[in-house]
Amino acid sequence: MTRASLRASLALVAALAVGGAAVVGLLPSYWVFLATSVLITGVALQSLGLVAGRTGMIALCQMSFAGVGAWTVGYLNLAEAPGDLAVWILLGGLAAVPFGVAIGLPALRLRGINLAIVTLSFATAFDTILATITYPGQTTFLQVPRPALFDSDGSYFVFVQIVYAVIAVALEFLARSRLGASWLAVRHSERAAAAHGVSIAASKLSAFAISAFTAGISGGLLAGYLGTLVAENFSMMASLSLYAVAVMTGAHFAEGAIIGGLLVVMFPEILRRFDLPQDIGNVLFAIGATQALSTGETMSETFRRLARKLRPARRTKAADATGASLPQPAAQAAPVALEIDDLSVRYGSVVALDHVNLKVLAGTVAGLIGPNGAGKSTFIDAVAGFLHAYEGSVKLAGAALEGRPAHLRARAGVRRTWQTNRIAPELTVGGYLNLAAKGLTESEIAAILGWLDCPDPEVPVTTVDAGTRRLLDVAGVVAARPAVVLLDEPAAGQSHEESVRLGQRIAQIPKLFGSAVLLVEHDMDLVRSVCSEITVLDFGKVIASGPPAKVLGEPAVKKAYLGIEEESVAA
Amino acid sequence: MDALLTSAVAGLTAGGTYALLGVCAVFTYRLVSVVNFTGAAIGTAGTFALIALTEAGYPTWPSVLAGILVGTFVGVAIGTIMTRWFAESSASTKAAVTVALLVGLIAVGLRLTGGQHPHVMPELFPGSAFRLAGVEVTIASVLTIGLAVLFTVLSDLFLNRTRVGLHLRALSDRPMAAELLGVKVQLLSLLVWGLTGAFTTFALMIIAPQRSPNFMTLSLLVVPALAAALVGLFRSFWLTLAGGILLGVIEGMASTVDSISQYRSAIPFLVVLAVLLWSQREARWDDAR
Repeated sequence: MTRASLRASLALVAALAVGGAAVVGLLPSYWVFLATSVLITGVALQSLGLVAGRTGMIALCQMSFAGVGAWTVGYLNLAEAPGDLAVWILLGGLAAVPFGVAIGLPALRLRGINLAIVTLSFATAFDTILATITYPGQTTFLQVPRPALFDSDGSYFVFVQIVYAVIAVALEFLARSRLGASWLAVRHSERAAAAHGVSIAASKLSAFAISAFTAGISGGLLAGYLGTLVAENFSMMASLSLYAVAVMTGAHFAEGAIIGGLLVVMFPEILRRFDLPQDIGNVLFAIGATQALSTGETMSETFRRLARKLRPARRTKAADATGASLPQPAAQAAPVALEIDDLSVRYGSVVALDHVNLKVLAGTVAGLIGPNGAGKSTFIDAVAGFLHAYEGSVKLAGAALEGRPAHLRARAGVRRTWQTNRIAPELTVGGYLNLAAKGLTESEIAAILGWLDCPDPEVPVTTVDAGTRRLLDVAGVVAARPAVVLLDEPAAGQSHEESVRLGQRIAQIPKLFGSAVLLVEHDMDLVRSVCSEITVLDFGKVIASGPPAKVLGEPAVKKAYLGIEEESVAA
Repeated sequence: MDALLTSAVAGLTAGGTYALLGVCAVFTYRLVSVVNFTGAAIGTAGTFALIALTEAGYPTWPSVLAGILVGTFVGVAIGTIMTRWFAESSASTKAAVTVALLVGLIAVGLRLTGGQHPHVMPELFPGSAFRLAGVEVTIASVLTIGLAVLFTVLSDLFLNRTRVGLHLRALSDRPMAAELLGVKVQLLSLLVWGLTGAFTTFALMIIAPQRSPNFMTLSLLVVPALAAALVGLFRSFWLTLAGGILLGVIEGMASTVDSISQYRSAIPFLVVLAVLLWSQREARWDDAR
């Protein structure tokens, strides 16, 4: 992970240094001045890319956050606060954070559209408030002084460039961290993210907070750039058009933010030189954004796709696990890993689960089988905390789980997989494992991937085929080494040979990882070969339980599966 | 007290407009599942057609009709973009598209109308309708509220009492499925866009003289409109109606209190914040994922 971040960061810093040197050394001062503006807009776009690009929400008040940052800098200047611009800019960024969090709060549980409405109304409110209270020092023409070292336009460009590089590198590391992975996961599927122990609220709020902070910084930079500001600099229209640009170029990519900055600054400049009205720019951004939304691909993604085509195709490598060792297995605290008593679930008048009792002993693989619609997935949902309500009790190693939301159950040691694959495709294989299990070393990740014949950690999930993604699901839950692993039809869609191999792996899970397994599966060969105990559900009731050989021989079980009595088959 | 009542009543015209725009937003959302950020901008386009025509010396009422036609046309044009390219997209993508279109519409609108250049908006319905507890209630306010109520009743009847309405409600997320059932989805969607375009245009024509008639200010009336729609949780027409009127009344009252009158456009934000925090008391997962 960190190696990839370092590589990307070094490339970015090198590109910025070369580009910056070219700008300062070769361009006339007017263009250096414009280039500064490009970078400042780039910072604002990066802040927007974090919310709009990574978490997939519509945020329409980014310039208001920038306004908060700029206003703070102006105020500190007016109040003759100690320190210089660099310190004030930092404080301006921090001042924007509470606003970001407050606005993010209403969007925690509901999706993006509400955030769009909240942010747009905040932008309108901020517009009028700023117009009324005015920018500090606006009436007295008080200039915000630049840091002594970076006073000229040329050197201020270098200052902005340093800030840009610091933010870009920090965001690069964040994006590859577990927190960054959680943003993508939440965007793709909140349930799947919660199943890995990710707190949806913390994930979203952290994105808002960091985004507001970065936007606040861009406002502070703008204050030093222009000296004096007016409310117009942070108008709602500016926020709206920034959003359109971010959607168009893909502002969560390093190149997307720079391209966006270039478009925002250079377009009006070019139009001005041709004596054309400058607001045509917004029309083009609108068209560009609509186009990007209709194809589902931003400019940066298009460039990356074309660049990939130019490079020679790489074969997807399998993970290299030589010399790597699996992480230590979890300690088994109690003899009974999971104990379910009298679990009932009702959907209106339909009884999905009816007084179900089930035990999974530590160190074993238990099976849960039954025909379609028997309530197996409902059972997993209830145990893992994805249902609003159920009756009965779920105990993990003796401790009751009632009242705990899904992500806390996951952290306590109940991990599940899903029937349909819910891995965010933007992640890499290694990033996914890092999300699923905190604090694994690179060699442990490689070992787990190698153990399940999964691809190399650097491989993006988009290029992984559906069957292998199901293995990746299993890799994720076992990597966390929880007390109990609930596997929901892991062999669905696998060929017979693959299914046999998977069976061997599942049988090893208790010994290698210390987790008990509850396997929900239709593949009876698989169930027979790995489970020591099985429970059969039919119409929400337990109709049989015990060792596989005995249970699968019972007439009631045969009837549930075949729909007829055994005698009539024989007849 | 009297001053407060006067100002509350003065807010009724705005309230009626917010309510109508809000009900149109809910109507659009429930039928074609688009949270439409361009709602007010569509009406603004029609309103400025009226201004252009009257400024060019054409008589008022034919110009009003032409303006409504322009609003309808712009609505249909945006509807065409949405149904042609985004019919099967997620609700949040569709909302993002209308945000992008709003940026474009405002830019084009400001260009065509000369930016902040002042315009004379003819007052269509001057004078007062009746007195209420010694306070004049204007014809404009009666008209906007009446229109909003009419649209609410019609939408409610259409969605709950007609076969097509029922079909569309059941299938608004899956236009393809409705199409297979024999509902002419394309045509109906465009009808929705055209109808809401016409109604919002008329409402904006009534309120325009009270505001600075500038393309952007009027387009941004979408903010109180969406706040009203949120009061109805994008489901209930009647709650949206009440929310819109209430917003207008609160704004009217706030305008008399000197210390807060300058900040009154922050009111929709506070309402949105309150409604969202209230409506998400119980935890819920994003739909079926």
